[in-house]
Amino acid sequence: MRPVDAHSNPASSTSLADIARAAMPATARLRFPGAGMFDMLAIAFLALLVLVALFVDIIPGLVSPKFPYGDFSQLPDLTLNGLFGTDEIGRSILSRVLYGARASLSIVLVATCLSVSVGILLGMLAGYYRGPLERMVDLYANTMSALPSILVVLAFVTATGTSVLAIMLILGILDIGTYARVAKAGVISQNNRDYVLAARAMGASDARIMIREILPNLVPALTAVMPTLMAGLIITEGSLSFLGYGIPAPAPSWGGMIAASTDLLSRFPVLIVGPTGAIVLTVYALNTVGDYLAQRLNSRERGN
Amino acid sequence: MTNLMPYARAISGRLLAGIPVFVLVTFGATALSSLAPGSAAQLILGDNATPEQIAQLNSAYGYDLPLWERYLKWLANLLRGDLGETLFSQQPVLQVVFDRAAVTFEIAFLAMLVSLISIPLAMFAASHPGGMVDRILRSVSSILLAVPTFVIVVLLSYIFAIVLRWLPATGWANLSQNPLANLRYVALPVLCLSLHQTAYLYRVARNEMVASLQEDFVQVARARGLPLGYIMFRHVLRPSMPQILTVMGLSLTYMLAGSFVVESYFAVPGIGWTVLTAVKSHDIPLVQAILSLTVVIFVVIFMLVDIGYAIIDPRVSVS
Repeated sequence: MRPVDAHSNPASSTSLADIARAAMPATARLRFPGAGMFDMLAIAFLALLVLVALFVDIIPGLVSPKFPYGDFSQLPDLTLNGLFGTDEIGRSILSRVLYGARASLSIVLVATCLSVSVGILLGMLAGYYRGPLERMVDLYANTMSALPSILVVLAFVTATGTSVLAIMLILGILDIGTYARVAKAGVISQNNRDYVLAARAMGASDARIMIREILPNLVPALTAVMPTLMAGLIITEGSLSFLGYGIPAPAPSWGGMIAASTDLLSRFPVLIVGPTGAIVLTVYALNTVGDYLAQRLNSRERGN
Repeated sequence: MTNLMPYARAISGRLLAGIPVFVLVTFGATALSSLAPGSAAQLILGDNATPEQIAQLNSAYGYDLPLWERYLKWLANLLRGDLGETLFSQQPVLQVVFDRAAVTFEIAFLAMLVSLISIPLAMFAASHPGGMVDRILRSVSSILLAVPTFVIVVLLSYIFAIVLRWLPATGWANLSQNPLANLRYVALPVLCLSLHQTAYLYRVARNEMVASLQEDFVQVARARGLPLGYIMFRHVLRPSMPQILTVMGLSLTYMLAGSFVVESYFAVPGIGWTVLTAVKSHDIPLVQAILSLTVVIFVVIFMLVDIGYAIIDPRVSVS
């Protein structure tokens, strides 16, 4: 069989423009069509947050003279030390907020990697082969949506004690169901499209069809749910740290800082501004990006 | 004679689908004690316990049995309505769970009622999409959705209990003993729990109604010159109801998750507060019972949602 030549066939879907676009360097293709100002701000904020989490070790020396473990002076000192002051034992709030970003994001990252990879695998197999496997994946997804993740984590903590690694894994395991459901629905809707039938007719193996043909088409739907689920993870991790069962106390975490600031709230309400701002902005940015991606996905599917 | 079939089908379908979920969760809950380092009794009694004490507690709670046997025993006990006693207060587990669940239900139910205010707001915003009210409510709801419950709890208690001094910051009075005091204590927890819910319900309802307004039958009604308010109630609200009901059912898990933070902060003796005390004392039987109850509630709520569908949309009985 002769490979189809894009130039000789004007009806082909591969136009010169597509080839040119594909040949462009990745950075030039990083565009956000249809994104409003808020969407761009949200994307920029999240990018900044990731940079902060990566390079936070360098930053505290620049913006605040105090390392986040403090000098144990008695009262919050609101006059010195950066934007948000220091906490009751003299630790710079700003530094702790920045370190908290690293703690939150690392939990989100590990949990999401786990749930996305296993979720895609299970969801694709369930959507492709259907049958008992599909029923098992459905059962799993239903069960996981019946349980508040905070309750599951607390139940594990009851039996095993607090551990950050366990929290990452449990939160990841709980989200597997949602990703699996999205991947499954995607496979089912793609399975009878022409390109899949063509690949099958050419004798492609199931694995090849799933990985090379269908998987790339699941990416938009999966990335559209990802930010919203990540925002949920940030909130769950924050709630756990707030309750005292998340990131253990001396280490900085947004939820833990908010919990600590409540004791001093009547005298020093400023203490709550930093960690609250950080968590609200992060969740808001993730939700905004999630809405934007979902909207893009909808307009794509309407054939735009 | 009214046709009861759709209701029967809704109930039986959900119950059948709920059984494997229930088994999976309760089995997982039973397996929890096997995860304890050493043995469950070792974890509960601490490092100073003698081997005899550990062995005694292990056999009293059946932690020395194989997992399958332990699970079957637990199921049999559940059928007899006796899940043993809580580890420390030595009260019957089921009794404790039901007492505490009643408190959480009261708060969740009131919060759900408060959040229904979002429906008229959504109707107004949807009837003037892109208008001033629509845009303001959209921003407010997306900000509210970004504020975690534990932040709302701290902020509202700061405003209402510390600055304004309108409401007590913590405490509890039983509804049956002192309804008025109960209302005072319940106000802040309900408000905290309902904010997120209101924003979420508003978004779903508004988007559903905007979509319903595009439908042909609404266009016809508008072309006939019917007043917009009448159309919103008669033609737009009803087709949007199934989606709204689903969201209300789904948000039950959010409410329960929120109740952990709200109850622990305001010292409300509900399910969330109970779990948090159980975690501290490693009270595995109590946590196990609460996990199981959560699943049962979830199945029941979705049964109610399905019955709701059948009431709203008579076509459900045909399919």
